[in-house]
Formats: sequence, C-alpha cells, structure tokens
Amino acid sequence: MKRLVLVLLALVLWGYVVGPMFATFQQSISGEGGALREYVRFFDFHKGAQGEAMIGSLLISFASVITSGIVGVFLAVLLNRWDFPLKKFCRVMVLVPIALPPLMGVEAFVLLYGVGGTFPQVLAQLFHAPPNTFALTGMPGVLLVHTLTMYPYFYLTAAALLAQSDDSLEEAAYSLGASKTQTWTRILLPMLTPAVVSGALLTFMSSMASYTAPLLFGVDQVMTTQIVNAKTNGDLRFASVVSVMLAMISIFFLVLIRIWEQRAIYRTQSKGGARRRHRITSPFAKAVVFVVALLSTIFLMLPIAMIFVLAFSVNGSWRTAPLPSRYTTHNFVALFSDPRSWEPIRNSIEMSAIAVIGTVLLGVACAYVLARMRFRGKAAVDIAMMLPWALPGTVVAINLITAFANASVFSFGKVLIGTFAMVPLAYFVRFSPLVFRSTAASLAQIDPALEEAARSLGGSWFYSFRRVVLPLLSRGIAAGALLAFVNGAGEFVATVLIYTPRYRPLSIAINDELYLANYGTAASFGVVQVLLVVAAIFVSDHMQEKDTSPQFEIRNSKLS
Amino acid sequence: MTALTLEGLSKTFQRAGTVVDSITLRIENGEFFTLLGPSGCGKSTILRIIAGFEEPSGGRVLFDHRDVTREAPNRRGVGLVFQNYALFPHLSVARNIAFGLEVRGLSTAEIDRRVSGALDQVQLPTAGGARVDQLSGGQQQRVALARALVIRPELLLLDEPLSNLDAKLREETRAMLRALHAATPVTTVYVTHDQAEAMAMSNRIAVLNAGKVQQVGTPEDIYERPANRFVADFIGRNNIVNGVVRRLGQGTATLQLPDGAELTVEANRRAPGLELREGGHVGVCLRAESLKIVSGMGLFKGVLTDVEYNGAARSCVVQTGFGKLRVEVPGSAARLSNGEAVQLAVSEDAVHLVEG
Ligand SMILES: Nc1ncnc2c1ncn2[C@@H]1O[C@H](COP(=O)(O)OP(=O)(O)O)[C@@H](O)[C@H]1O
Ligand SMILES: [Mg+2]
Repeated sequence: MKRLVLVLLALVLWGYVVGPMFATFQQSISGEGGALREYVRFFDFHKGAQGEAMIGSLLISFASVITSGIVGVFLAVLLNRWDFPLKKFCRVMVLVPIALPPLMGVEAFVLLYGVGGTFPQVLAQLFHAPPNTFALTGMPGVLLVHTLTMYPYFYLTAAALLAQSDDSLEEAAYSLGASKTQTWTRILLPMLTPAVVSGALLTFMSSMASYTAPLLFGVDQVMTTQIVNAKTNGDLRFASVVSVMLAMISIFFLVLIRIWEQRAIYRTQSKGGARRRHRITSPFAKAVVFVVALLSTIFLMLPIAMIFVLAFSVNGSWRTAPLPSRYTTHNFVALFSDPRSWEPIRNSIEMSAIAVIGTVLLGVACAYVLARMRFRGKAAVDIAMMLPWALPGTVVAINLITAFANASVFSFGKVLIGTFAMVPLAYFVRFSPLVFRSTAASLAQIDPALEEAARSLGGSWFYSFRRVVLPLLSRGIAAGALLAFVNGAGEFVATVLIYTPRYRPLSIAINDELYLANYGTAASFGVVQVLLVVAAIFVSDHMQEKDTSPQFEIRNSKLS
Repeated sequence: MTALTLEGLSKTFQRAGTVVDSITLRIENGEFFTLLGPSGCGKSTILRIIAGFEEPSGGRVLFDHRDVTREAPNRRGVGLVFQNYALFPHLSVARNIAFGLEVRGLSTAEIDRRVSGALDQVQLPTAGGARVDQLSGGQQQRVALARALVIRPELLLLDEPLSNLDAKLREETRAMLRALHAATPVTTVYVTHDQAEAMAMSNRIAVLNAGKVQQVGTPEDIYERPANRFVADFIGRNNIVNGVVRRLGQGTATLQLPDGAELTVEANRRAPGLELREGGHVGVCLRAESLKIVSGMGLFKGVLTDVEYNGAARSCVVQTGFGKLRVEVPGSAARLSNGEAVQLAVSEDAVHLVEG
C-alpha cells in the first residue's frame, strides 16, 4: 500500500509537474538552426533586441525588493513599536492588499494612478497642468503595484520578529552605554535581517513572475510578457526558451528560500519578565506617529476601496472626471440574474472545484509521504512538489501547452489543448503546493506515536491513517483546499494562455469587461473575488495551526 | 566602585498601584546585596529604577553622592544581567561582550584584550566565535555576566539570573558568582525570590513584601532573628505556633502553647520592637531543625504523617492537636515510619518570638 502510494505520487509529479517542464526544455532546443539558436536570440542584448526583457525583469525585481523592503520594514516598525489610537485597526488594514484579486486588483492601481486615473486628474486640475502629467505609466507603474502588493512579504516577518523580541534586548544595549541611535543601528534593525532576507527572496521571485502589472501598465520588456507575446505570435519555441530561463531563475530562488527556511531564525527567549513598555510620552511624537500610520493605512487601502466604489458605478459613466458620475446597485443584481455575468462565475467555480479535488489528493499524499516515510530522493520530491509554487503562472501554462500538445499516457491518450480540461489541470498543478504546505504544517503537529499506538492496537496502516491521522489533519487540509479553491476561482495569468472561449472563466470575463470599459461589471466581479479571499483567509486563520510561515500565507494569494 | 543609596523610593503604576513603597536602603561599596521577596513584590521594578528604565514616582537614587535619578540608562555605567539573559541573537558571543566597549569607542586591540579576559573570567575561553543560540542556558548566562562585567560597571545588577537554570547549574553558577565577586568586589544588587540563593550569596539581604522593606540584615540576622511573621514564614522552614505570654520573669518569658504545653524562653529572643506583656499573644517560631523527636517527655504529642529522606536529613510532618509541624532530624537518626505516635522536644535557644 505504501509503495503503491509512493509510485503513484512519483508518476503524478512526473507527469504533470516535472515532465512538462522537460517538455518545454525539449521544445526550446529542438528545431532548425541548432539547439542553441533561440537561446542566442534570448541573450541578444542589443538595443531593441530580445535580451532587453531579461534585463527589464531583473531591474524591476531588484527595484521592487528595495521599495517593498523599505515600505514593509517601515510599516512593521511603525505599527508594532508604539501605542497610538486606532493601532489595532491599522494593523488589520495594512494587510488588506493581500485580498486584492488578481486582475481587478492591478486594474485598480491603473485606474487610480495610471493614464486618465483619479489622481492624475485631480493633480492636473490642481496644478493646471496638461492631463496625464502626473500619470504613472510603464516601469514606475509596475514598481508601484509591486511595492504596494509585495511589502507584506517583509512586513509580516518583520512584525512577527518585533512582536516576539522582548524589550530586555534594547534595555541591555542602553545599560551597556549605547545611545538611542546606536541601539537602533546595531541591535534593532540588524535583528530584522531574517525578515529582510526572506522578504527579499519572495519579492524577487514574485516580481520575476509578475505578469498582470506589466501587461496593464504597458511594459513589454519583461520575461513574462515576452513569453505571452511569443506564444501569441505562434513562436512556441522562443516562448519555451524564455520559460526555461524564467523557470531556472525561479527554481534558484525556490532552493534559496528552502535553505533559508531551514536555518534557525533568531529567537529571543521570552521566559518571564518579557514586557512591552513603549509608551510615547511626548504628545507631539504621538500625534506624528498616529497621523503617519493613519495616512499610510488609507493609502494602502485605496485600491480595494476603488474596486468597491467602481462596483457601484454605472457602466460607461466614467469619462473625464476623477471618479464615475453615476451609481447603482444593478451590477450586483446582474451578477446573479444576467446569464452573461453568472456563467463565468459558474465556470470558474466548477473548474476550480474540479482542480481542488486533485490538489487535495496530491497535496495530502505528498505531505504524508514526506513526513512519515524514509526513501531516497525525498529532497527531489519536496522540490518537485513546491516547484509550481515558485514557477510563474505563465511558465506553468507554457509547460502544459508543450506537454499536452500531443496525446500521452498522462492525458489518457487525448490531445488536451483546446479542451475544457486544460484550465482545471493548470489550477491543479499551480495550487497543489498550497494544500501540501498546509497539510504538512498540520502533520508536523501530530506525534508519530499516535499512529504507532493505532498500529500496535492492531490497525492496518491504511486503517490507522484513515481513523487517526486523517481526522487530525482535516483542518489543515480544509484550509489548504479553501485557499486553492479561491486562487483557482480568480486565476488569470495561466488561464489567459489556455482557456477555451466555450468555458470562459471569471478572470477572462473581467478582462473582457475591462476592455469594453465596463468598470462597473468588472469591479462587481472583483468584489466577489475580494469577499472570497477574505472569507478564505478568515476561515483558514481559524482552522489552521499557527505554524505555517507568514510569507507563505501571503504568497498564497498572489497577484502576478 | 560605588555605594548605592535609595532614598524613599516609590513607584506607582496606573493599573498595578504602588508596587514600590518608600524604600530606603544603603548598599555599601563592594557589597553583595540581595533583594529577596515573593514574586510580584516589586524587586524587578526597584532594579529597573536603579538601572534607569523606570522613573520613580518619588525618592532618589544616588551613586555615591551623585544623584542619578533622572540620568539616562546609557550614562549610568550599570552592568545589568537579565533573567532571560537578553543576548543579542544576531551577534556572536564575542561581539555581544564587545558591545559595551564598542559603544564606548575603545580601540580594537583593547576590546579584544578585554573580551578575551572576560571570557576567561566566566570560564568560556573558547566560546568567542560561537553563535549565541549554540550555547546552553548556563553558558548563555555566563556570557550575559561577562557582557555586564566587561564594561567595569560601577554597579552590577542581577535580576533572578539563575531562575532559568537547572539545580546543578544553579549551584555551579552560584559558586562562580561568589568567586567573581571575591576577585573583583563590584557593588552588586542581586534579585531573587529564592531564600536559599539569597543566603548563599549575600553580605546582606533586604526582605521585601508588597513593595515594602520587611527587614535588612545579614543572612544570619534574617534566618535567626526574623523581624516579623512575614520574614519568619518566608525564610527557612519555620513553624509558627500561636502562643500567649503567661508570665514575664527576670529576662525570661513563659509561654502558654496550644495543647496545654508551656515553654520558658529568654525574653530577648524576639523580634526587635516586639513588646511582651502578660496575657499578650505572640507568634512562636520553631524552626524545623530545632525540634527533636523524642520517645517521652516531649512538649508536643503527635502522629507522624509524612517522612522525606534526602540523605543528610529526614523531613517529617507531625500532625498535632493544633495543626501540622515540620520537623527535620539528621539522616542518620533511627528510621521512622508513618503512623507512628511521637513526641516533640524543643531546644529553647532556637525559639524566636514575633508578633501574634
Ligand atoms: N511597566 C509596568 N506597568 C504596569 N505594571 C507593572 C509594570 N512593571 C511592573 N508592574 C507591576 O508591578 C508589580 C511588581 O512587579 P515586579 O517588580 O516585576 O515584581 P517582582 O520582580 O518582584 O516579581 C507587579 O504587579 C507588576 O504587574
Ligand atoms: Mg521580577
């Protein structure tokens, strides 16, 4: 039985995760002109040549790391060190960007800060400048989106470190003669290094994978858009080349992250006496902290607020004013009564639900096998399982396209391209790691002795698993499944490359509505997604054991 | 080095109320002084006021004649050892110890010299390069001590430094602290709730309760001549029996004890300030080791209900007509078993009287 599970697991991982990656690699080196021809093109750094995309991706990723890092650490310090009115409220609200839905979330930034957006209009009127003087386009726009959606990678770990660090460290520094500045530069900030490193790794990886932000801000010179453009032009070989390169970068970062996670993180022992005592005594300082915190929070919440405002706007009622002129609740009524609106929702729910069944089977089996069995190649299984988590959605899609262009054992002898099956398959591959991680976290809490007890009492392995382990895991599994479902229901990046118009998913419907400038309809879809994500985070927060790393929680819902 | 004076020190917190209540103490130059009291009695708060992390609501702190009450903690030159050590997790052992020297801008050579000296002092000569979390609790403790001592503090403050160690390590560290203090007698204020620890280490002890000083004195003073019922109860293994003064004689007092027993003791075996008058109630402290189990002619009669043998001694509990008494007899004494009827004799020179 155990063997069988192991073999099946290896087959599935090979067939749908690792194999397709190799198929893409195969594709990238086969064809006329020698194996390396397209790679040479990829590395052509002349002006206007393909090499610019990689440079663009690397630059934007480095920049994103720096800006997100500054914002994340700044907020963590601001919201965790001092007491001020509404502190709790601010601490909840700065995490709201996690709930931004994939496509609509980025569009909200465009509508706020991009060409014709709210802020450029207001500022242009204020300074009597030509319209769009202040509009963000291109790389700066992408950078803004990355910063304001990826700072939680830094914020969460930094906040956790600050919360657990106890004041005695600081007091020790003071009593040894350090000034306030010295205590900050030598003790408090260096202690945040683990947060900064893990945040930087995650931000870099996510920025490399980011597709929607470059798409909506009209940036062509990044690798993800390069892949999609090549694919759209029918140059699947070049798309494969870029995918392989992007995948290698992602895998490199995945390995770094895994190594970093296994390192001991600084922990301050907090036995007894740990108290937090930061009271601001000067009313002026208190007011400054309060105002800065409140303004930051409001600023971070603007995109979500924008989605909610737009959802109540009449389609086509937004022309030249900073905000739409007419409002209605009709969009929400239409959502459930108009078949044109309801159908994509239903499609997405169905496809995501199908995928979730798969993610649960694979994720649970893999978590169990890795936690409880000894066999050679464990590390390989672990990396293979986490691989789709690190891979950009674009790459996952290209992998599946190249792998299932022809009939194979894994497609049960059918060509899958252009069928309904591709989308659930992509969701299955992309989101299995979520169930895996969440199950693994629960499993780590269960003493192996429980199973041994069950077995010694006469239960078979499978019986013990079913009657003892599974019930104890159920919350972790449910939490992971829920996240997988919500992510699937909103997925855009991979979907856009593989969906069939007969089963138009939600994210594509939003894309179409945005194309038609039907912001009301698109945003009402967005609101549904936001509510789903919030519900999922809320529920899984209550279901899950508190030991998954915060970065991971965050990356569960990604915009890219 | 420095003498420390606390003058009428008080601290009131909004929620917890007055936790330090007009404390006046003088701690001599080079003295090892212990603040002893149950948890929550304000010991740490006093220490934090001395270190400069809390501002007192009233009173002053003097280092020699220098009033430091309003001085910033980083200007006081105080070495502080925390209960949880508070080692900087991102710095190596050596860099932890060097920290206070670095902020003082000492030369690298001087820092290296003093750090390695400090490591030798705490018997960790090779640990300099280690990460803090590679050390055991006991070693971390010693690094914390080295870090506090290396700055040559005017004053060393230790807040329950041994409470996170196991029993054996605690004894070893105790011995090391004593040796360190003997070698370089820096004025030390030591905080603990463990009376054995306090007795073992200190030149003098202040017993605190609810923010107030109950008694200040040498370990012997406090053990043999507790100033009140609280101290008598908190220190040592005292039985406190209620008695009534029957007669006062020439420097003696005859006490009526429960169960009809009578006992005559020297009248000066009493807490300072305690007035004896005929018919007055007193608390009679009978230390466990001053009671003897005898076969007849004892002062009290009872039944043995529990015996604990620990090699050097047997601790017994004797149920009498007026409650349980704790009795400690040498380990070499005859074996005793539960349920045995026994009588207890009191060596009169070990009796001490406190308020009734
Ligand atoms: N910063 C503070 N704010 C409010 N109450 C405090 C603070 N520090 C200590 N206390 C209270 O003062 C009392 C004494 O505390 P402490 O000095 O730590 O006692 P000890 O060290 O003797 O156990 C406790 O009731 C504690 O809750
Ligand atoms: Mg304390």
